[in-house]
Amino acid sequence: MASLVGAFAAIHSPIIARNWDVMPAGHRAKLTSAFDEVGRRLRACRADLLVVVSPDHWVNFFIDNMPAVCIGIGDEHGGPPEPFMRKHFPRDQLKGHAAFGRHLLNTALDHDFEPALSHRMKLDHGTCIPLWRTGVEPEMPIVPIIINDVEEPMPSIRRCLAWGKLLRQAIDSYGEPLRVAVLGTGGLSHSIGETTMGWIDEDFDHACIRHFEDGEETRLAAFLTQALPRTGNGAHEIRDWVVAHAAAGSRGFELIDYFPSPETLVGAGFASWKVN
Amino acid sequence: MTDYWLSKLFYDLHNDETLAAEYRADMTAVLARYEIKPEIRTALLADDVATLAPLVNAYLLRFYFQVRRMPQHEFIAKLNALGDKNKTVSAPMSTTHG
Repeated sequence: MASLVGAFAAIHSPIIARNWDVMPAGHRAKLTSAFDEVGRRLRACRADLLVVVSPDHWVNFFIDNMPAVCIGIGDEHGGPPEPFMRKHFPRDQLKGHAAFGRHLLNTALDHDFEPALSHRMKLDHGTCIPLWRTGVEPEMPIVPIIINDVEEPMPSIRRCLAWGKLLRQAIDSYGEPLRVAVLGTGGLSHSIGETTMGWIDEDFDHACIRHFEDGEETRLAAFLTQALPRTGNGAHEIRDWVVAHAAAGSRGFELIDYFPSPETLVGAGFASWKVN
Repeated sequence: MTDYWLSKLFYDLHNDETLAAEYRADMTAVLARYEIKPEIRTALLADDVATLAPLVNAYLLRFYFQVRRMPQHEFIAKLNALGDKNKTVSAPMSTTHG
């Protein structure tokens, strides 16, 4: 049987790639240190497969057809299409894991979840900046779960918790001895293209961190459901962390680092969950 | 209220570098291929952030002004001027496009 061996979270601000070479050295060092620690823990858990939970930043989906959740079930995925990613992550393809992707899809359908599916998804900076900065090996198979974090209406926090549990069920019921890690990307607070753009809501971020540390799902869901409409739109990406949280069993996480990052316009959060 | 054709223009420009270059070179030629309302066309030609912002997803708005190569600090300043003065914007701001 497969097993969950690690669950992590990291930011994915595109400015990390856009400005990496011109960012103030001290800030680049802080980001490097945090990403490196996530990467170190990810390598330490010796995963065979990485499930990455992230949004689609308008490269696969448009308002013609915008799924709440989409699972990548292909043996390969497209690399990031954004021009600013080419310098740092010049990959046209990423390895997938069709067998586990399909198992996850079937597990979802068997439990009355109806995600969209993709045989070849373009994986934008939301997936690939954490892969780049944490140093994930190119050969690591990726199963992407795309959550709609960008266009209202979005999946409820309750549903994201349920998705996390379903993901764990799929891992636990997979017939091969795979070591699976989960990475939720994005957050914490940020505001993009809104009148509050540039706002980093540190109160939200610290409250968020307390709830993830506490772990309890009802309180976490109540807090986020109430707080998300009052902070910047980028914070909706916390859904990706919520999926990772529930997959890990909602037993609390260890904050690796948090700092407001006006250089990248986000509240920069990095964490790993207790999975054992 | 979401404007479909404005959103479609922004989405296409975000995902097609060739189209984006063409748009920068000749906005009116590209706009002619979309069912853009006259008042929105005027706003596009004037880089009128205030008029365009309520009509599209905020991410698409950002991507559009990256295509337009409006400096990020200018884009943010235009947005902040429209908004809630009680929400403090953190400094410093990056100066790259969008």
